[in-house]
Amino acid sequence: MRSLHRAAAGWGRSGEAARGDAGLRPRGLLLATTAALTLGGCMGPMPQPLLGLNSRLEAIGSSRAPALAGRWLALIGGRDGREQVQLIDLERQLPVPLPGLNRPDAQPLAVAVDAAGEKLAVVRQLEGRTELVLYRRSLMALEPIAMQPPGVPRRLSLRADGRELAVEVSRGGVWQVDLIAVP
Amino acid sequence: MALLLLLGGQGLVGCGSWSWGRRSAGPAGLMGQTNREDPAISGNGRVLTSLVERGGGSTVLLQEQPSGRELPLPQLRRLQPHRSPSLSWNGRYLALIVQQGSRHLAVIQDRATGQLHRLPLPGDQELERLSLAPDGRRLALEVVRQGRSRVELLDLAPLLEPDLPATPVSGGGGLP
Repeated sequence: MRSLHRAAAGWGRSGEAARGDAGLRPRGLLLATTAALTLGGCMGPMPQPLLGLNSRLEAIGSSRAPALAGRWLALIGGRDGREQVQLIDLERQLPVPLPGLNRPDAQPLAVAVDAAGEKLAVVRQLEGRTELVLYRRSLMALEPIAMQPPGVPRRLSLRADGRELAVEVSRGGVWQVDLIAVP
Repeated sequence: MALLLLLGGQGLVGCGSWSWGRRSAGPAGLMGQTNREDPAISGNGRVLTSLVERGGGSTVLLQEQPSGRELPLPQLRRLQPHRSPSLSWNGRYLALIVQQGSRHLAVIQDRATGQLHRLPLPGDQELERLSLAPDGRRLALEVVRQGRSRVELLDLAPLLEPDLPATPVSGGGGLP
């Protein structure tokens, strides 16, 4: 639950940041992005930054490795080098708890989520090893997925329907792609 | 391209009771020892993309599944190296980072119309990764500015028609 509190605290700070000096730089960045995308208007309709959500994402601290599916955004984020997997409900604009997934001694490297927001696949470093785990949110259960033949996983993609994983695996100095059916 | 069934449904892993059916996506080149990186699979599993070395640069490879038949992407040929590919639900849209001159930019290839959408960003941001929502409504960008990475979201509704599953899935609304 500590991870939830930390994540929730980060989102709670967003309002203060927007009012104080700390909010000026992100706001400037958002405006710059908006301006750049608006300038592209002569090329036809252009996508628009989701300013409210982006302002809330800024409150996480640093964030990386995004994965979108359905109403969910999974990412790796945190402050002061303490990174953890976070799952954000984009409709409610709030992070949701992931009890049992994050550990203070684990460094997440990549994450993917399905469109139902039920399954998260995570590659992480733990005790000197790199491992792939599948987290089921309704069960709060974490299951390791061994690489067979043995290999080191890195980036990954989860089918939006949650039925299959595509995983980049290093074996003997060559990067390969494994497709793993998810029961 | 032949697909190799490695351990279909046989692997019981760890202390759990779930079984994991596995197959390799197969080698990306005829020599078999070619790197194949950064995979992304469409929401329905019918299209797989990954990065391979071709013509001296990292190049996106798009394949039907499970046949492995390669799908052509002629408009992306002169925009290498490619990075961080991402697919929509039925594989209609392929989003990725390309290089145009000295600039990196996000593009979205619409395979239904052949249109290539270019999404410019301010010059002081470096684009690291992206993720396209399976329905094509949003794009998440990982950008680096002054050494700090952050995720930003774009609303693609003005640009793209939705790419939806044949059978709607639950949005997970029953979970907190």
